[in-house]
Amino acid sequence: MSVSVVRINHLTVVMNVLIIEDEELLQEEIRSYLTERGFNCEVAATFEKAKGKISQPDYDIVVLDITLPGGSGIELLKMMKRQKSDTGIIIVSARDSLTDKLSGLDLGADDYITKPFYMEELNARINAILRRRALGINDIIRIDDLQVDTSAKTVFHAKTEIVLTKKEYELLLYFIVNKNRVVSKQSILAHLWGDDYASNESIDTIYVHTMNLRKKLVSHTGIDYIKTVYGMGYKWVQG
Amino acid sequence: MKLLQRSLRYNIVITVISLTVAGILMYYLLKKEIIAEMREQLEYQVEEIHQSLKNGHSVSYPLVEVEKVSDGIAPYTIFRDTLIYDPLQAKSEDYYYLLSVGKNSAGNYKIRVMTTYIGWNEYSSTIFTMLFLTAAILTLLNVAGSYFFNKRIWSPFFYNLDRLKNFSVSSDEPISLQSSTVVEFKELQRSLQDLADRSQKEYKALREFTENASHEMQTPLGIIQSKLDRMSQVEVSEELADHIVQAKSGVERLRKLNKSLLLLAKLDNNAYPDKTEISLDIQLRKQLEWLEELLSGKKVTAVVNIEPVKVYANLFLTEVILSNLLSNAIRYTAPGNTIHVFLSGSMFEISNPGAPLDFPENFLFQRFGKSSQNIQATGLGLSIVYQICQLNNWKISYAYREGHHTFSVMLSMDF
Repeated sequence: MSVSVVRINHLTVVMNVLIIEDEELLQEEIRSYLTERGFNCEVAATFEKAKGKISQPDYDIVVLDITLPGGSGIELLKMMKRQKSDTGIIIVSARDSLTDKLSGLDLGADDYITKPFYMEELNARINAILRRRALGINDIIRIDDLQVDTSAKTVFHAKTEIVLTKKEYELLLYFIVNKNRVVSKQSILAHLWGDDYASNESIDTIYVHTMNLRKKLVSHTGIDYIKTVYGMGYKWVQG
Repeated sequence: MKLLQRSLRYNIVITVISLTVAGILMYYLLKKEIIAEMREQLEYQVEEIHQSLKNGHSVSYPLVEVEKVSDGIAPYTIFRDTLIYDPLQAKSEDYYYLLSVGKNSAGNYKIRVMTTYIGWNEYSSTIFTMLFLTAAILTLLNVAGSYFFNKRIWSPFFYNLDRLKNFSVSSDEPISLQSSTVVEFKELQRSLQDLADRSQKEYKALREFTENASHEMQTPLGIIQSKLDRMSQVEVSEELADHIVQAKSGVERLRKLNKSLLLLAKLDNNAYPDKTEISLDIQLRKQLEWLEELLSGKKVTAVVNIEPVKVYANLFLTEVILSNLLSNAIRYTAPGNTIHVFLSGSMFEISNPGAPLDFPENFLFQRFGKSSQNIQATGLGLSIVYQICQLNNWKISYAYREGHHTFSVMLSMDF
């Protein structure tokens, strides 16, 4: 398995992720996908186990479920904040309630994602937190000759800028952080516009946007990174 | 009519009736007493006259008539009223007379003695005045009493009524009612306290149930979705790919349906009580900007006419209304057409061109009242919008004019 890494300031860092989730199948799915993405994953399925793990604050990211056997994830969040660790925390919850969301974010969580979610979306959000954490550092993702500057939100090939629309840029980033994985149109739509705008017609516009992005990239780099996978969606293929 | 006014009115009516009855009774009893007294007096007078006649004295008094009659006439006694003209006062006066035939040792005599109803008018007018005064005093005391004493007695009742009016089951604050020394009020206060505490508890349980239901359903859905995603990573035959895609779209619909149903359940339970001042124009522009490329991808243009408007509402629910109405308009607009968005004063309108509805208009805001044209839609979006509008005291209406579907929302400007 080729280990992917997050590049920050030209340094290769392996990120440690703690997954606190009591649902075994979901936990396994998150662990397996994040490991595939190059993260070093640990898991905890109960409140007590999670409490033991967060006492050593050497995680870069904690994926935190709110409802746990033995206690509330909100309590764990408070404990982590008391330790003043700079761990990025992303709440994963089935509670699609605004008050939960607000109290989670007020207590210092970095992001909040409602179940059920796409693994690609979780991965994209984790990457976004890592980029925000590295504030002030030149944050550039390089793919062959392609350079994506995530602080300026610009894309260059060699020295030429590839001008993208806002959504095309977001789409590109989504493909890159989820490279070598088939990304469904639904997942792209949910990432770009949220659930409320999902419809057959809206999904067709994903095709339009993806094709536009593809054409722009091909015309500059000569490489077609985005492959269509029949029926399933698209895949950013990169050696 | 207020309870105090009503009880006061009954009090006054009862006072007047009882005093009238008492007055009438008093009048007749007194009159009976006086007539008995007058008869006694007249009979005594007749007795005196017989004595004088027996002793051979002649009898000549005013208002007395004595006549000797033949012995054959049997004795009798008659009392009667009569009117006698008084030339001095030039008016007729009421008189009461006794006519009797009786024997004494001097012979058989017919005697008539009379007396006036002197003072009777004064008596009756005194009775009337006294009763009238009593009625007036009682009424005055009743009114004053109800204002001063009743107010004090009823004050816990009014306080509790006020608390009850402002009571919300969704609030965590207990109702805390005022106690009273009046047994009935105390009982009422206890029952209300009990009722309020119980509703709050049940409301909380319902809310917890909603959240638990959400958790229980979302997690298995998440598992199915992630497993289907995992399956799509593997290279499979076209046939299997089709099956996976169809299964995914089913899960997707179920997911959205679940989300909408939970939102509706929460709206039913008034789970979004926190309201703030919101600049609707800014929210609307945000959503439109967010949608810009979705619109351009669909080749749909939006003509926007927005003026600054502030409303007092829940932010999350306001976002839901805007996104539901916008996505509805976008969904049913064919490529190359134009959506109109208008916001000014207290009016918010979204219209899009399209074929008329293929179902009755009154199904539009009903749950699952959806068109057969779009199976992707949950059929809950517009009923969510309707319910949020009701919650905010906004009025939503729909019209189909000149090939355009228009949703108009009359915003409430209450802060």
